[in-house]
Order: sequence, then C-alpha cells, then structure tokens
Amino acid sequence: MKVTLNWLKDFVDISYSPDQLAQKLTMAGLEVEDYFAVNRSFKGVKIGKIIDCTPIEDTDHLTSCLVDIGDGRVNVVCGAPNTKKGLVAPIALVGARLEKVEITSRRIKGIESEGMLCSEVELGLSERAEELMELPSDTPVGLDFERFLGEPDYVFDVFITPNRADCQSVIGIARVIASISGRQLRRPPVPWREQDISGNNPVQVIIKNSNRCARYSGRFIENIRIKASPFWLVERLFNVGVRSINNVVDITNYIMMETGQPLHAFDYKLLQGDKIIVRTALKDERFTTLDEKEHILNEHALLICDTVKPVALAGVMGGLNSEVQPETSTVFLESAYFEPVGIRKTAKELDIFTESSRRFERGVDPNGTVYAMNRAAQMMIDLADGHIIGKAVDNYARKINPVNIDLNIERVNRLLGTKRSMQDIAKILTSIEIDVVKSNHDMLSVNVPTFRPDITRPVDLIEEVAINLGYDYIPTNTVACINQLQTPNLKDKFRDFMRGLLVALGLRETVSINLMPDKYAEYFLPEKTGLVQIINPLSADLAALRPDIMSSLLTIISYNRNRQNDTCRFFQIGNVAWKTEAYVEKTHVAGILAGKRTESTWFGKEETFDFYDIKGLAMSLLGKLGIVDLTLKKNTVGFWDSSSVAVFSGKEYLGCMGKLNDQACRLAKIKINDVFAFNFDFDQLFRFARIDKKFESISKYPSVPFDLAIVVDNDVPVAQIEKFIWSAAGSDLIQVKIFDYYTGDQIGAGKKSIGFSLTFSSKERTLDESSVEQSIKNILAHLNRDCGAELRPR
Amino acid sequence: MTILENAQKILEQINETKDNFQLALKSVKSKNDLESVRLMFLSKKGEIQRLFSVLGKLGPTDRPVVGAELNAFRAAAQSDFELVQQSLLTAEKIKDFDVTLPGRMPIVGSLHPLFQVLDEIKIIFTEMGFRVEQGPEIESDFYNFEALNIPEYHPSRDMQDTFYLPDGYVLRTHTSPVQIRTMENQKPPVRMIAPGKCFRKDTPDATHSPIFHQVEGLCVDKGVSFADLKGIVQAFAQKLFGQEMRVRFRPSFFPFTEPSAEYDFSCIFCKGNGCKVCKKTGWLEISGAGMVDPAVFGFVNYDPDVYSGYAFGMGVERIAMLKYGIHDIRIFYENDTRFLNQF
Repeated sequence: MKVTLNWLKDFVDISYSPDQLAQKLTMAGLEVEDYFAVNRSFKGVKIGKIIDCTPIEDTDHLTSCLVDIGDGRVNVVCGAPNTKKGLVAPIALVGARLEKVEITSRRIKGIESEGMLCSEVELGLSERAEELMELPSDTPVGLDFERFLGEPDYVFDVFITPNRADCQSVIGIARVIASISGRQLRRPPVPWREQDISGNNPVQVIIKNSNRCARYSGRFIENIRIKASPFWLVERLFNVGVRSINNVVDITNYIMMETGQPLHAFDYKLLQGDKIIVRTALKDERFTTLDEKEHILNEHALLICDTVKPVALAGVMGGLNSEVQPETSTVFLESAYFEPVGIRKTAKELDIFTESSRRFERGVDPNGTVYAMNRAAQMMIDLADGHIIGKAVDNYARKINPVNIDLNIERVNRLLGTKRSMQDIAKILTSIEIDVVKSNHDMLSVNVPTFRPDITRPVDLIEEVAINLGYDYIPTNTVACINQLQTPNLKDKFRDFMRGLLVALGLRETVSINLMPDKYAEYFLPEKTGLVQIINPLSADLAALRPDIMSSLLTIISYNRNRQNDTCRFFQIGNVAWKTEAYVEKTHVAGILAGKRTESTWFGKEETFDFYDIKGLAMSLLGKLGIVDLTLKKNTVGFWDSSSVAVFSGKEYLGCMGKLNDQACRLAKIKINDVFAFNFDFDQLFRFARIDKKFESISKYPSVPFDLAIVVDNDVPVAQIEKFIWSAAGSDLIQVKIFDYYTGDQIGAGKKSIGFSLTFSSKERTLDESSVEQSIKNILAHLNRDCGAELRPR
Repeated sequence: MTILENAQKILEQINETKDNFQLALKSVKSKNDLESVRLMFLSKKGEIQRLFSVLGKLGPTDRPVVGAELNAFRAAAQSDFELVQQSLLTAEKIKDFDVTLPGRMPIVGSLHPLFQVLDEIKIIFTEMGFRVEQGPEIESDFYNFEALNIPEYHPSRDMQDTFYLPDGYVLRTHTSPVQIRTMENQKPPVRMIAPGKCFRKDTPDATHSPIFHQVEGLCVDKGVSFADLKGIVQAFAQKLFGQEMRVRFRPSFFPFTEPSAEYDFSCIFCKGNGCKVCKKTGWLEISGAGMVDPAVFGFVNYDPDVYSGYAFGMGVERIAMLKYGIHDIRIFYENDTRFLNQF
C-alpha cells in the first residue's frame, strides 16, 4: 500500500528523514519496498493569470491568451476547454522542461505562442487531462509553481502482511509511527455531534444475516454538486495510485485510504423504497457491478438491496444501477462491517479483487464505521456543497467488543528468551493502544481494540511485545541442548553416497524443472497410468508433472546439443509422478550418455558411446552399491530401443538400461539418436544395496594367469559361457576377463571366438601347473559338452 | 723389489686409476668426452687393460687377490660408464620431449552447484544436531496449508501462488509440510531440516522459477525461545559465509509462526557498507523464520503449554546465486555443460 509523508503528517508529527522513516517502518514489520520523492522539478513554470482571451478564427477550440506572469505579459495559444478570462493557472515559459516536452517559442495559426498553460497531466501531477489546472483566484501571480506547491512530498510503498488489517490505512501506519517515536496520534474530529442533527433518516436498514454483516451505518447528504476534485485531493490520490473520478467518489476513496474503512456512495434517487436490506444472494441470481460486468452469484455472495433490487455486491463493488452520476444530487453513504471470510469467498469465486474487498477480507474496525462515514460526510459538505439530512442510520446487529486476554509475564520471557518486567511489558502494550485493565503479580489482563482483529491469543500479544521491543533487543543464544541418540536419515545418506559414486563414474549432476507439456509427458508414462496434470498451469509447456526422469534428461541432451556441447554425460536423482487410483510419486536415479566417449586427440581417435558404455556405468554403480544376483532381460517397452534391457536383482525389478528409441529422441528434438541411458528406482536400490562391507582376506601366494580362446555358436551368450567356466573350474579360479571377441571369416559363419583371461589363486598354497591344467581341462570338457565350444585353433 | 712390493704397487695404481676414472667420468659433457673416457680407460689400449697386462708379473699368491680387485674395478667401471652413457642418451631425447603437449585427461563428473550449496547447508545443520527429513512433492491441501494454520479462505493463501491438482492436492509450495509429517510421527524433542524441491506459480524470469529448492528447519522442545532462533540463524550465517557475518531479524508474518520474522545477512559483497547488490542497505534478504504457532501444535497433538519451537526457511537458489555471483536463476535448470563445468 502506498502512503505519502505529508498525508501521514496530518496524523502524527514525524521528525525522521525519509531514509530513517523507511528503516523504522521496515524494522517495525511494515516493510518499505520502495520510497521516492514526488517529482517536483518545475523550473520555468510560474503562476499566470489570463487577462485577455480571444478565440482564433477557423479553429474550433484554440484561443489566443494574454497572460500576466507578474513581471510581464506573454501571449500563448491554448486549446483547453476551460480557458477563460481571469483564470489562474500554471504556465510553462519558454525554456521550461516538463516531463514530456520542452517549451519553445512557436507560431500557431500565425500567432506567436511563448509558453504553455498547463493541465495537471502535463505537469505530471495527476491523470486529469483536457482542462487547465485551475488554481484559486487569489494565488499570487508570478509565483514560482514549485513554491506554490510547497514542501515536496515522499511516497512510501509499504508491504502490508495479511495479518495487519489495521495498517491498510494512512491512520493505521501513522499509529505505528506514533508508537515507535513515542508521539501522539491525532485524529481530526468531526465538527458536529449527532444529537445536534435534526430530522429522521428516511430509510431503515434490515440485516438478514448478522453473521455476515455485523454492522451497517449510513448517512444522507443532499444538495450535492458533482464536480472535479480540488487539486490537493487529486494529487494525494494520484500519489497513492488512485485515479480521480469526481469529488464524491474521490472523497469515498480518500477516506478509505485514510481510515481503512471502505465506503460506498449510492445515488439516492436510484434507490427504490424506504428500506436497505442486507441479504445473501440466491443461487444463480444475476447482478451487474459498476464495471458493467454481469455476475452469476451463489449463496456465498452478500447483497445490499433496496426494496426491489440488489444495488451492491457487499464489500466488493457497487452496482451499475445505483452508481453516482454527474447529475446526482442526493447521496446515500454506506459504511459497514462485513465478515472477512464471506467477502474473501465472493471475491475469489467471482475473481474480483478491489481495494474494498482487500480491506474487508483482512478485517476492518467494526467500531470505526461511523467515524469514517462522518469524515466523508464532512468532506462532502466542504467540497461538494453537500448538506446532511437526518440522523445517521446505524444498525449494529452483532456487537463486536474488544477481546480480553490474560497474559502471563513469565510466558512472554520464556518464549522470547528475555527478562522483561511486567512494567516494561505493560508499557509496550499501552503504546500500541492495547488497554491494560488489570495486573496482578505475573498476569496482565488486557483489552485489544477492535482495529486489531489479528490479536486474539496470548501468543499474539507476545509477538507485539517482541516487535515493539525491537527484535534487535532480544538476546541471541547460541548454546543448544541436543539429543545425542538421534540417528541419521540413512536414506538421505544413501542418496548422497550414490551421488558421490556417480560423480566418480564421470557423470555430471543435473537438476530439472519437472513440469512439461502434456503431449511430451504422455510418451513417457508407464502403462495403465495417467498424467498428473496441474489445474492452473503457468502455460501449456509446464502443465504436467514428469512421469519419468528420462524425459528431463533427454531435454538436457537436446539443450546441450543445440549449443554444440556434443559430449554429454549426465545423471539426475529426482522425483517422478503418475496417477492410478491415487497419486504415485517415485524417485528415479538415471544416467545418460550421448555423443563421444573420447574426442579425437593427439594420442588417439575419437570414439562414440555404445551399449557397453552404459552397461559398464550401470554395473559399476550396482557393484559399488553391493547389489548382487543381477540378471538382464531384453526390454522393448516404452521409450527404450529394442536393444535395451531390464535389470533385476533376483526377481526384483530395478530399472532399465540401454538405448533410447528414435521416437523419444525425436520428441525431445534430438536429431541424432546416439543416446544411452540407465534408469533405476531409487527405493529399490536402497532396499537391495549392501553398503556395509566385510573384509575378505587376500592370498599371500602368487596367482597363475591362463589365457583361453574358444570358438562357439553365435547364439550362446557370453554370460552363459562364463557361468559354465565358473562352475567347472573349481575353487581356485578367482577372476574371468574377456580380452578378445571376434566374429568373421577366420572362424566361419555362425560362430564367434572369445578370449578369456583366467586367473587362478589359492589362499592355502602356491598353485602348481598341474592343478591349473586340470582345471582348464575340466573347463574345456564342460564347455564342449554344454555349449559345443571348441578350443580356438592357433 | 719383492713380489709383495709389486702387488702393493699395482693395487695403488688400481686405486689411482679408479680415482682418475671417476674424475674423468664426472667431467663428461658430451658423446665425445665419453668416447675419450672409453678410449683412455676401457678400450683394449686403455688403462684397465694395461693393468691386467702386468698381472702376469705377480707371484701365484698375489695374483688372484689383485686379479679379483681388478676384475671388480673393471665391472664397476663398465657399469658406471653405461649409466653415464644412458643419461647422455636420455638427455638427448629429453631435448626433443615436449612437456607442453596436453596430458591424458581422466573423465571427471561433478555435483550440480545448487546441490553443492545444499550439501553444505545440510552438513552445517546435521553437525548442529538436525536430522534430514524428506516428504512428497505432491501434497494434500491439509499438509501444505490447513495444518500450517493457512485456512482455505484466508488472505495468507495469496502469499504463495499455488499449483493445484485434482482431488484436493497441490504441488507443495514449501517444504514446511515435512514439519507436520515429522511431528505427527515423533514426540519432542524434534530437531530437523527438510530440504527439497518446491513449486510456485511464478512466471520464470531472472529471479523467479516455477520450481526452487528450500531448506526448512524446525526445533521443538521445552523452553525453546526466540533467542535460540536468533542463535541458530547466527550460527548458520557464520558457518556458511564466515565469522564476520551479522544477522538482522525484522518483524514479518507467516501463518505458521508467531512471532514471525524475516532475517537478513550482512551483505557478503560490501561487508555491510552498502553496495549495488544490497541496494545500499548493507543487508541481504535471506528468508523467513519464527516461533511455531500454537495452532500448528494443535494439529499434531503437541501441548503448546509444555513445548515451544522455532522454524526457519531458506531458498537454496538464493544462497547459491549470492555465493557464486549468478544473476539469473534459470541457468541452474538449463544444465549447460559450460555452466556445470565451472563447479
């Protein structure tokens, strides 16, 4: 909310500089987001008086004006409709620089023009255009316009947190300033008393639902002359971001900004009957607000009605059918208290948020309606020639009293970590207008004024004590008592351990915005599941939650490829989600490779990634995690290529690895599909990981290597052969490596040759040649019998 | 002249030749020098051969003794000679060896800068006795709002623009729901942090992103005070950015804390003197904190007359941006290798 320094000064003396004030308010919980001096640089602008004025022939609106500027006279051509002899207005002389124009001497229709008579918009003071800014006729001619305007004003843009209903007004902020600076808040009195007003009020207010409307006050002002507001009013409203409409509407806005009490002015002639009825709307009842929009209401909406029709959407916006018109002469002024939640519901459901609804939904002061109404009425007398008729209407259907709270002093000090006396605390509360009604040894009994609806419990009072004491004056305690038996979160530790492994395996960690377009996400969705779609997405590109982490990693590859970052080695651990009957959220661990395994260097040629790179990575990871009993099964589902595999530990599914299919790459806008990846379920890895290692003794005796090359049919998997080797070799075989793999002419069609490098070792003895030879014989016999393998001829 | 005298003499000559040989070898600087040493000592006409030729003049008792000595000398000399020869060869090779050719670089991975910062935050808090807790990203309205004292029709809902899912679920707007889940399952004392991904309906720009990472902290026990909250934030600031860090608390509002505060760190760029980054204030806004509202305890069946607690939050991106001097939050989620490479 915006306030100005001069406006605040109407209610409290302020000796702080603008810098200090911004700092003080921020430290009092009213964060000043911005503050600035109102632009008041008007060099070359003076007060001028039109002493002669003649229309220019052949134009419909231009006049030639002779203007007295105190120390001389100038002639200017002017197009404003209110130009007339005797008018006093600011005049920008040749050489003056205004916001948008620099004034030069010009010839218009053959007439010399040496300056410009100004409107408020030209001076940057308001949005009011067309008409010249009309100044009081006794303003000294020739005076610098800057001096006429007086003290420069400052605008403060204050962020009001939702709890501070009391600070949605100039008086509310002035009250805070009064309390932090130890000064008195001044509230301008209304110069008449209700009992001195004669006549009865012409309408009766009936509140059908006092839970929704606790109080409804109203007042009649007749003889109104609707016209433009005086400059000071327009300027103040402009500075706080409110557009000037006319004097009556401006007054209701001005008093709302000042007191925080929203007001509404009805044209009384447009109200029918002698009753104002406050009721809830009927289902599907239609109502057109003054912005000319028709709304279909439900029972949550509260309406202000005359005897035949609704005339306002209570607390939100007035009706088109009863708004103040240029010819309005009698005004019915409404000042009411509506219950916050109801207003909030209506505003949300209809999506209309107004200055009025914003204040009601936070809570205005139910005991402040009459004061605000009378302030506005007085302004209508002063600025719109108004005349009050009859006593005010005031239906206070459900009295809202100050809340009484008992505050335990020991509790204040315990929660804040302070050692304040009861006197200190009572003094603080009194300074913010909280009445201390009773005190006995360690208890204070206080009454909270109704303008502070946020204070209902002892803890709310403790917060007020803390704020007004100043957070800086609360001690800082760095000694803590902790429970030493608390165990670490093993799952989180496991996650970090795994991240370390993946980095050691040469992958770069990534993080993604896991929102994506529906179409893209759908392709990655597991079978028989649905997308998790956001009801109110920011855009169609961020509409669904990713169902698989691979969707994100492919996007990252695509992004990098488009920037010539050709070699990609990434991993990501993150959540994915889909919907079955309920929402399912899982954590995936995935790695991805694309492009070159090695680049072309001075010592070697470039090589591209293939299946065995991703397999190596995935197996290293699973190996380091101690996950055993791994089996791979060909997997062609979803976005995986037919050469990819599913990985199991025993019968438990862990995830997939291999190549992504072309369609997935196309969707991610990856032009060349050389993308390999693995993707595991985090919880499964956590379940089967065995990170607690046991030491296995290392043989003291030398090991014996033996190379064995065999030829076998192409359809026998290497893993199968390895299995046979292990089972036939006996207990001294400790390692099997493959040093050669060949298919081709040398061994004939349908065959492959595999070179195994075997290592034998015993923990008990040095192996002799004969025992190794015996093992080899066994292996060969076994392989020959079980898969037809032969020793490869040399 | 006795035989013994002759043997003695030859042995002296051997020793003298040894010294001469070593001297000559030491002064070798080139192949030519080396060749002269070889000619002088090791060739068929060299000194060593000349000594062998006088062996025959010795008597049968002395001959083997001196012979052995001479043989040992010849072997040692030959070996020393070869060493020098080798090093000369190596030196010649080294002359052409270009050490400026790039080495064979191992492939190294890296942790994401955002998570490097998160890891640091986690370590700081776990060292101070906080346990890491996790929760789902898809949350019910109850955990994300209701139980945190944010009723449906309350203006405080406007403080966070929320992504809504069907059936009363939302994408969590903060990791605070983890507080509730933890307190539901654990009696006090509680000392926990909840790091994780959060979602807000913020249009992406340099400082906003629809996802971001938050660390939320909670401590509940008997007698926990606002002074303790100030202490933990102060300790965190110093452990993260150094001993000279100062912390400022300002009043604020959060529905789940009372009293509530925003906390600022003294500007890490200008040491609090005022600069462009801190907008001349000397302070950097970090995040919010406060004492747990008794209403929240009501939702998890903690007795607010017995227990009190503090909670604090922080945005990991915000801290990482300050730490690394990053000005656009979006770069974190692009995962450009040229960016990731730098960390």
